[in-house]
Amino acid sequence: MNYPVWEVPGIGLPWVIGIIAIFHVMISHFAVGGGIYLAVAEAKAIRENRRDWLPILERHSKFFLVLTGVFGAVSGVGIWFAIGLIQPEATSTLIHNFVFGWAIEWVFFIVELSAAAVYYYTWRRIPDKLHMKVGNLYAVASVCTLVIINGILTFMLTPGTTWLKAAGTGHESAYFWNAFFNPTYWPSLILRTLVCLSLAGVWALVSFSRLDDDTFGKAKVSMIRWSAGWLLPAFVLMPFMLGWYLYMVPRENQHLLELGMTTIGSGAFTQITRIALISVISTATIVGIVYFFAYKFPKDLTYGHALSVLFIALAATGSTEYAREAVRKPYVIGSHMYSNGVRISEVDTFNRDGYLTKSMWSPGKDASQVEVGKAMFRGQCLSCHTAGGYRSMRAFLADRDAKAIGNILKVLHDHKLDSPYRYYMPPLVGTQQEIEALQSYLLTLKDAAAPTKVARK
Amino acid sequence: MSEELTNQKADEVEQEEGVSRRAFVKVAVGGVCLAYAGAIGYPVYRYLNSPVEKAQILAAVKDVTLDKANELPKGSAMMFKFGPYPALLIHHDDDQWVALNAVCTHLGCTVQYKKETGKIQCACHGGVYDAHTGENIGGPPPKPLTKYVVKVQKGSVLVSRAS
Amino acid sequence: MSKILDYVDERLSLGELRAFAAKKKVPLHRYSYWYYWGGISLFCFICQVVTGIMLLIYFKPGPEAYDSVRQITYDIHFGWLIRSAHNWSATIFLISVLIHMFSVFFMKAYRRPREFGWWSGILLLLLGLTFGFSGYLLPMDELSYFATKIGLATPEALPVLGKTIANLLRGGLEVSDVTVQRFFALHVVILPLLYLPLLGLHLWLVQKHGNAVPPSEEEKPEQERKSIPFFPNFLAKDLGMWLMTLNAIAIMASLFPPQLGKMGDPLSPAPVGIHPEWYFMSQFATLKVIGKLVPGFLGEAAGMTLFALGLILWVLIPFYDVKTKGGLVAKRATYFGIFVVTVLVLTTILGYVLA
Repeated sequence: MNYPVWEVPGIGLPWVIGIIAIFHVMISHFAVGGGIYLAVAEAKAIRENRRDWLPILERHSKFFLVLTGVFGAVSGVGIWFAIGLIQPEATSTLIHNFVFGWAIEWVFFIVELSAAAVYYYTWRRIPDKLHMKVGNLYAVASVCTLVIINGILTFMLTPGTTWLKAAGTGHESAYFWNAFFNPTYWPSLILRTLVCLSLAGVWALVSFSRLDDDTFGKAKVSMIRWSAGWLLPAFVLMPFMLGWYLYMVPRENQHLLELGMTTIGSGAFTQITRIALISVISTATIVGIVYFFAYKFPKDLTYGHALSVLFIALAATGSTEYAREAVRKPYVIGSHMYSNGVRISEVDTFNRDGYLTKSMWSPGKDASQVEVGKAMFRGQCLSCHTAGGYRSMRAFLADRDAKAIGNILKVLHDHKLDSPYRYYMPPLVGTQQEIEALQSYLLTLKDAAAPTKVARK
Repeated sequence: MSEELTNQKADEVEQEEGVSRRAFVKVAVGGVCLAYAGAIGYPVYRYLNSPVEKAQILAAVKDVTLDKANELPKGSAMMFKFGPYPALLIHHDDDQWVALNAVCTHLGCTVQYKKETGKIQCACHGGVYDAHTGENIGGPPPKPLTKYVVKVQKGSVLVSRAS
Repeated sequence: MSKILDYVDERLSLGELRAFAAKKKVPLHRYSYWYYWGGISLFCFICQVVTGIMLLIYFKPGPEAYDSVRQITYDIHFGWLIRSAHNWSATIFLISVLIHMFSVFFMKAYRRPREFGWWSGILLLLLGLTFGFSGYLLPMDELSYFATKIGLATPEALPVLGKTIANLLRGGLEVSDVTVQRFFALHVVILPLLYLPLLGLHLWLVQKHGNAVPPSEEEKPEQERKSIPFFPNFLAKDLGMWLMTLNAIAIMASLFPPQLGKMGDPLSPAPVGIHPEWYFMSQFATLKVIGKLVPGFLGEAAGMTLFALGLILWVLIPFYDVKTKGGLVAKRATYFGIFVVTVLVLTTILGYVLA
């Protein structure tokens, strides 16, 4: 506990990162796919002399300028703010390792932004050849942002054995490339590229389905049909890539997929069944709809159909992202740091010397037991739970007395090999006194809920 | 629009579409139908088949012989598998032997024998059972744990389903 | 394959049906999108029937209701999914029915000769809401128990017959396993028996009169209006929408399955923030607000009168807004519709804020 803890009641800390990150992930996938799409489409239009495509592409490119320059940039900075406040330990570890990577990422992003702006404002103003070169630069730069950030993202799930061996020695950054090209780097890169391409196709369908038949008639049909081609291979391959990706995840985390979402006993709720169900059904629907309405009969593609395809594609992408995040439990950096910022290497020290002893935010020597418990709660629970909102502690504790709370804390502290909590919760660290303090704090939390119950009656 | 439909077909598709593409389309359409049939059919089949599966499991395992379990000291317990289910064998201080299904009747967590309290507890939601009878005596469990018949033999313990 | 088709065609004259369907036209204009919502509602209803029948296989009404739903949710393979699909397709059903109704309202599709389509639609909506209310109790957990208890307090406030009606619905003075048994009969036998013939009538009327076009289209000269054949174009688009609806149900059902709370216990206090499902939220909030202004029986009666009045106006709208060329009457009817939508949305939000 080297940093202060930010408290967000209601949605809790995980969803602060979650909301910003989901938004940013979707935008950036659109942006990368859009860069490639525009460059390839313009090249095709000029090569095959389809001049009627160009005004449509010009309109289309405006969206990507706004998307990257405004929403992409703002939400990206938002992620920095959020993770710095919510996961300071993990953010610090990432910066120590990847400061060079992030510097490159920043350069590519600046190039992407500038190229997108130049690309949009120079339509019909500079020679075709030069404009295509700008487009290529835009596409390459946007792909490079994905190539870089993918290394850091996958590192958090699978840091790889080489880096893990070096962790804590102070020489971690010497293993930059081992950490970067970690076990899930390639499946993730291919999966994300497919998502980018398909989202570019989906957005093209949405954008072109609104074109007026009388003005754009022929170009509209040929462009919708061509855009459909962007979706089909991606959606056919995606379930297989997802399978490969999950196969590369450590066994320990794979086990999490076999656990239920809300109850740990029942096999029927497993995450893997849900992911499989959603990805199979969504792929089938999108392939079917896109084939019939965009490829076979492009004139029948309505704005409504295109929007529905967009929503389903986003929901499918969103739920696989969610599953990917869920698989990382109980770590924030796989097999190195638990989701509450406690490093595996620190567990024994904390248990022996106490969790709060070395903390700068320790409540002090003469603090009451409940105050000590509250500090424990803030340090070790708040990164995932809230008192009364998301993953509410009050709801979990509702039926438990002091003894039952003590029992569950003991299970969490022992962290035995057969404990079901092991797969998605960090061990509870600290001395016996600290754990008892947490127990008494939790009891006050629970009792605080009781009076309202009576009052409402 | 109906003329346009046929026009469209004649327009570009027909020229581009070779035999291999048509074969691909057939496979793709077949794949889509198969995906739907699987994603809907499989859950429905498992749903309807659930009691059958249960009955088959019950029919398959009638008893389990636990080697050397007769050496289990008094006041301690061991876990074993009865068919697919985890189960508990307890040797009580009064020399009574009890075997119980260890799946909590609340939401299916695995229960544990607590020596200190002499009761069986479920860590998930705090359910408590009597360690002699399996009766649910505290917390959310709606039903008692299923009890098995125990026979201590020379060199092993035979646990069988109560008929 | 073609032989089988010929065999069937000769006996059932499918060719005629096809020719008829191809002749049928669906208008194409900028509001065409709204034509899909009736079809989406129909598809959700079919999903309800299918998943409902599957739940019926394991559900036990009466005292064992709670335990059988617990088994469906936690014990039987994919029972959680079937239950969740039933729950989510009910929600999407009511959403699409509401969108369908308001799109019909604003396109003025209740005008002559489509009045019976309007009335049968309103009845179908009311039956749909009753389906929701009766189905909500069946798991018999804390939430459904108290929601039903509060829900039945509303008819109880009706003058003269209120108490008798509420008692008859409950089968006693308190909600109990007898109530579950009754609601079960209502949910799976009586309501479907009423719903299906009415749905048949509704669909037949749509088929008989064809799709209505909004007034802005009607003003255009005949040659400027566009249309597409019902078969195969519109049907294909409709089926595409069905597929996407199915997908939406699958996503929601697998991501957000409903849980099962503690068993409903008449002696325990109502859980904090108990409120009905979203589709009753508006009425719930209105009653709450009126209850604060005019406490007691009078408030309840005032609320009930208000609802009844609103419903009657809604039913009578075809008599008021008859075909007049861009007249004031037509405008007033549109304003009334906007007013109703606003009130419903605001009171629903209010309900969630108050809860």
